[in-house]
Amino acid sequence: MAWRTLLDRVLLVVSLTTGAVTHGYNLFKYPLYVTDEGIYIQQAWSVLREARLSPYTYFYDHAPAGWLVIAGWVAILPSQFQTFGSAIDTGRALMLLVHITSTLLVYRVTARLSGSKAGAVIAAFIFNVSPLAIFYQRQVLLDNVMVMWVLLTLYLVTSGSDWRRGDMRIVAAMLSGLTFGLAVLTKENAIFFAPVTGYLLFKRLRGRMNYRFGVGFWSFSAVSMVSLYFLYATLKNELLPSGFSFDLNNPPADHVSLLYTIWWQLHRSQGSILDTNSPVWQFSLGAWLPKDTFVLVAGAAAALINLTVGLLSRGRRLEGVVVSGLALSYAIYLARGSQMLEFYVVPLLPFLAINIGLLAAWLVSWLPRLLRVIPVVALTGVFVFNPAWGYVLVVDQFGHVVPHDLYKLDQTSMQAEQLQWIRQNIPPDAKLIIDDDMWADLHDQKPFYKWAHSHYKAASDPDVRDKLFGKDWRNIDYVVMSNKMRDAMLLNNADGGETWILQALDHSQVVWSVEHGDVKLEIDRVNK
Amino acid sequence: MTLLADILVLGSLLLSVLLTIQSAYTLYLMLYTWDRPEAYQRAKAPTHFLPAQKPFTVMLPARHEEDVIQTTIERVVRANYPLPLIEVVVICKTDDEGTIAKAEEKIAELRAQGIDNVRVLTFSNQPTNKPHGLNVALTATTNEVVTIFDSEDDIHPDIFNVINTVMLQEGVNVVQSGVQLMNYESNWYSTLNVLEYFFWFKSRLHYHARAGMTPLGGNTVFFVRSVLERAGGWDEHNLTEDADVGIRISSMGEPVRVVYDDRYVTREETPPTLDHFIRQRTRWSQGFLQTLMKREWARLPNFEQRLLAIYTLAFPSIQALLGLYVMVSLATMFTIKTPVLVAITLSLPLYMLLAHLLLSVIGLYEFTDAHQLKPSWKTPLVMALTYLPYQWVLSYASVRATIRELRGINNWEKTAHVGAHRLEPQPLGSAASAKA
Repeated sequence: MAWRTLLDRVLLVVSLTTGAVTHGYNLFKYPLYVTDEGIYIQQAWSVLREARLSPYTYFYDHAPAGWLVIAGWVAILPSQFQTFGSAIDTGRALMLLVHITSTLLVYRVTARLSGSKAGAVIAAFIFNVSPLAIFYQRQVLLDNVMVMWVLLTLYLVTSGSDWRRGDMRIVAAMLSGLTFGLAVLTKENAIFFAPVTGYLLFKRLRGRMNYRFGVGFWSFSAVSMVSLYFLYATLKNELLPSGFSFDLNNPPADHVSLLYTIWWQLHRSQGSILDTNSPVWQFSLGAWLPKDTFVLVAGAAAALINLTVGLLSRGRRLEGVVVSGLALSYAIYLARGSQMLEFYVVPLLPFLAINIGLLAAWLVSWLPRLLRVIPVVALTGVFVFNPAWGYVLVVDQFGHVVPHDLYKLDQTSMQAEQLQWIRQNIPPDAKLIIDDDMWADLHDQKPFYKWAHSHYKAASDPDVRDKLFGKDWRNIDYVVMSNKMRDAMLLNNADGGETWILQALDHSQVVWSVEHGDVKLEIDRVNK
Repeated sequence: MTLLADILVLGSLLLSVLLTIQSAYTLYLMLYTWDRPEAYQRAKAPTHFLPAQKPFTVMLPARHEEDVIQTTIERVVRANYPLPLIEVVVICKTDDEGTIAKAEEKIAELRAQGIDNVRVLTFSNQPTNKPHGLNVALTATTNEVVTIFDSEDDIHPDIFNVINTVMLQEGVNVVQSGVQLMNYESNWYSTLNVLEYFFWFKSRLHYHARAGMTPLGGNTVFFVRSVLERAGGWDEHNLTEDADVGIRISSMGEPVRVVYDDRYVTREETPPTLDHFIRQRTRWSQGFLQTLMKREWARLPNFEQRLLAIYTLAFPSIQALLGLYVMVSLATMFTIKTPVLVAITLSLPLYMLLAHLLLSVIGLYEFTDAHQLKPSWKTPLVMALTYLPYQWVLSYASVRATIRELRGINNWEKTAHVGAHRLEPQPLGSAASAKA
């Protein structure tokens, strides 16, 4: 094996191992299990146990490819949902594999686009150790799976001997169309990567003998894959709302509709970049920047420099335009002020890392070949060992150098205790209001708590709210409170749907609770 | 009733999966050259010709070709190749007096110009078909390289230079050069028929050549004589003697070189009427079936080649199934209430059908670009509308072939040639718009 290939393999293995360690160590303990993780696991559970896409009425709020993948993963495990501990732990084990795969793809794509191993190592390194990235990438989120499909799409679009001058196979174009379709079916906002991916494909194939077939079949594969979602809705007679009514103030009552949901999502707005109270400001200042300022600031700066260099080079540095375009088009989506949640930053992170890698590759290329290793080692050394940097080591309030919370905090044990208390003290036929994080554990392990439902469904799903609980707080036996669940209930109560559950809380007493740091869990018994 | 419905659904499901797989495989074969850049390069003709060295025997089997035979002879003798290295034989059955007369008339005319390398060769015994004529000619001629042109063929004047160079440079003994129907806007089925040739010769045949299992075409195919002699000539009882001889040569381990260079293709025409088209297609389907039954393919050295041979020869029958399946699948999807996953699986062949239509539409532009033609904007729309009816015609021909074979009917239903590709004569080698 040529030494270059050997070096490449070694660097790749080191990158993958780094990712496995930073994401795998303390994976099941931190961060806290959150509602969304619970929802996706619960829907994967429904796929396996009920052959449906959701245990409740599926109203096309998300396309299902993500939890179908999770279901596929659970199906092959010996102890299914319990293989790695709780159901969410089992999902997180999959996220670890997803991350390692994504790291491989980040490494390879950066190496191809930049033509530099140094660039690839830096991109993969940042993707692996950014505390912001680790925090969300450990969670069972559709975004993580979607990112993997988008990266695989790029990997295929840049395949072949030389992405700049060499030919590309039509089979690669077809496969990458399929993976892009899967990305969209995993999380619809992958569509924001379509323009730049399409541009890259177009630039790559234009003037080549298989240009028409390549572009034609990429598009065909992607559209076919996405069309399955519409076909599904059509077959269920749920494509169009009844009476073709798209009146947002008057949702169709008799059956759900894919097109109505899309219409509704397009009209959801939570302010814009100009409004400093909008989620994009709240999250970026409140949640994202404190976790990792570097990746956001350096990533944004690198993207702008790459874009400038790319545009000024008249096509010689096409990779600059492509990589910055990917990051910026998604950033524009975030900034345009639609519905968003804290973890929506996830799809931006690999592209910020690749931008930093590309810029680093360009800067390092000014050095003689043998000296290029120095800045790479220095940079990774600073990130890992300098506590002031706050990536792996931090200085705590006592002035001691300690590992980052990611590697030492245990938050999920409290949730495990809460679950255990329920199993020991609450009869299985009790009617519980819970958060989604423990849904699958309560429904998949004997004894089954089949009357345990999340407050979201109890507030909005007619089957649960009206038929099971009669919208009466007296029909609730216990309310199992996850961290900050009361805040979430209040936030979700714009239409008054949670009011009857809040009344139950007002008529209840705490029978179990635990508090540690900013996490507080409790179980309330309703006094009737 | 429910049992019947269950059986129908289960059967459709199985069929659906199988058809999707076969359809994807066929799609790949049709895209092979474009998918593999190295195959694309390999398919091209040499850019420089070596000096003429190989002597050619040109066989022109003809039956009732009074209208076109003279032009065909003219084109062969006007090729850019030294006349002493070309021997031309027009092969006729003795009862075809019209064609013989026209050929003799042309020969006399050429003799007057000092060209005396053309002659008519006749045979009188049965069967009356092309392979019989070819076998007669094989024993009556001598030149090292044997080739066949059909009466309606427009050959490129440099074709002998191309083959001479390829044979000398690469040491191959069998070369198949491209044959291309040209009149792509003549009637409703001509576009799709033209594209079948385009994909077959430009792409799929290269895959076959690489696999070592090449069903050869009926003309513009060149053999070193000894190879044909070793193979025992053509099978006179086979309706597709060309594909059959290709498989026998492949099973001898003889490599076949396929050249498809848009500039050097032999130009032909689609059958003039639907009736003729069906007859031609029936003959091919039946011939493939006969070749399949003969089991010569069983002597192919490796498993992959045998599998490919079975697949290729059985393909017309599979095609019949595909055309009919579409209707069954649509009916099942919308009339029988099935689980959604079942319904989606049933729809997969429809996706493949769309993929094949897309392939054809893109192929249309590849074809017209290669020959400097400009398709009407309506052509892709016509293709979309006629795509399924075209498949049904193929299905019909295939069913007809099977019935004929089962009933032991084995006569050659000859295709008429009206010269649609010659109606607007253009200088050879330039872009011949083939509108009829």
